[in-house]
Amino acid sequence: MDWGKIRFFLSEVWRNFTRNIIMQVTAIGTVTVMILLLGTFLFAQQTLGRIGGDQIAKIEISVFMTDKATPADAKRLVARLRSDPRVKSVTYVPKAEGLRQMRERLKGQLDTSLLTSNPLPDALRIRVADPNQVHAVAAAAGKMPDVAKVEYQRDFVERLLRLYDVMSKVGLAFIVLLVVTAAIIISNTIRLTVYARRREIAIMQLVGASNIYIRLPFICEGFLDGLIGAVLAVLLLGIGRWQLWPKLVSSLPFFPLRDAGSDFGTFALQLLGVGAIVGIVASWISVGRYLRT
Amino acid sequence: MISLREVSLVYPNGTRALDGIDLEIAKGSFVFLVGHSGTGKSSLLRLLYREQKPSSGLVVVDGVEIGKLKRSKIPELRRKVGVVFQDFKLLLDKTIWENVAFALQVTGARTRDVMRQVPRVLDLVGLAHKSRVFPNELSGGEQQRAAIARALVNNPKILLCDEPTGNLDPVNTNEVVDLLHRINLKGTTVVVATHNALVVDRMRRRVIRLEHGKVLADDERGLYHGIESDIRPDGEDLALAARVRNGLGQDPILSE
Repeated sequence: MDWGKIRFFLSEVWRNFTRNIIMQVTAIGTVTVMILLLGTFLFAQQTLGRIGGDQIAKIEISVFMTDKATPADAKRLVARLRSDPRVKSVTYVPKAEGLRQMRERLKGQLDTSLLTSNPLPDALRIRVADPNQVHAVAAAAGKMPDVAKVEYQRDFVERLLRLYDVMSKVGLAFIVLLVVTAAIIISNTIRLTVYARRREIAIMQLVGASNIYIRLPFICEGFLDGLIGAVLAVLLLGIGRWQLWPKLVSSLPFFPLRDAGSDFGTFALQLLGVGAIVGIVASWISVGRYLRT
Repeated sequence: MISLREVSLVYPNGTRALDGIDLEIAKGSFVFLVGHSGTGKSSLLRLLYREQKPSSGLVVVDGVEIGKLKRSKIPELRRKVGVVFQDFKLLLDKTIWENVAFALQVTGARTRDVMRQVPRVLDLVGLAHKSRVFPNELSGGEQQRAAIARALVNNPKILLCDEPTGNLDPVNTNEVVDLLHRINLKGTTVVVATHNALVVDRMRRRVIRLEHGKVLADDERGLYHGIESDIRPDGEDLALAARVRNGLGQDPILSE
């Protein structure tokens, strides 16, 4: 290890970094805002995704059988539905069991002892693997023999799917916009440093410094901008995660917010990575452009 | 060491800076390039360290063909060719020691080599005692000697000087020229583009005279005024002063 070489390199990076503090603060601040918004957005998307996922997991297709269908017919139907790869599970609910479940559900709300006979048909409850397949599976089940009626929460499913779709598109556009903005500001900052150091660069080229040697301090500067900005943002997100989020959850008891998982560490590392990569790429481009011309 | 064959250089704006130059410069020689401003002296030097590519013809420097040199190979050439300019091009926020060391450090030299080489060249140019001083605290001559130290620290085979004494008074000029002479005696090929008649006449070395991008004369032990006056009415007062002082040649402008 040649410590003198390392010390020289680090002093060059430090010289770059401290040459224009105001620009540096601007670049770091932009990255912080970008990562903060990105983190918040991803967190919100994840949370809403969980809520939606919970709801979708609950969606059931109820298939009611005709009155004259026998338990053997029902068994055949169950087997047929189970052979469909889109179907996750099929539960057979005979009319007696259906009544018991209804009694259970309506306990205390309705006096079910008034019911003297069982009005319910035999039924099947289907859960599908992919929420997008709910329509198709329901339609297919409706065409099968011995099926009287198929019911499911059509509106809810459709709205949920549409919301999902819109959210991921808006989110993607939003993220791209943020990343581009941060990259432009970092590359502008680096360009200013490059300009401030143009004499040094000219001399480096004159005495035969290799291209990578000329580039590296600037790349490191961009990397530092990105990383420091991301660290600040992650700290703020951490504060939000452990200080604000529990308060929000406890103030909205009716809303099915769940804890967004304990993998904040991974999430933080990913955000730091995004910051660092944006910094490196932006500075690489702006130095490269200068050295080519 | 340096060889040019039918070399022409045309700038994008159409200016023909060099026009069919044929030249051989032997290893270890000392050569002056003289001529009016704009006759292609600097352009010729720029070809030799691949700041410019020739438009046509063959330029070979220490076995490297400049026109075919890949961009990635330029640094390798530059380490073999030291360059010194009229305006020194020192970094004002670094000390003399740091300026000289910089040239080694940015080529990835080991610290051990930096610690050995920098004092050696500073000693050679006579600035060992000023190594901790910033360029602005030095005289022009000292700054130029620091720049020469920087150009030499990589142990180049060739030293190119573009008007090295252009900003210096006669005393400092002599110091710098003596230094270049000593460097040449140690085996480095030295090429000096200059307007300074005093310098050229004192050294009595090979003089290559350029005019309109062509070699007008090439004298083995030449004088500055081998052929005609180089003094234009609007400048070159240093050369003029020197000539007047030394009574060298009749100046057509003065005698008018």
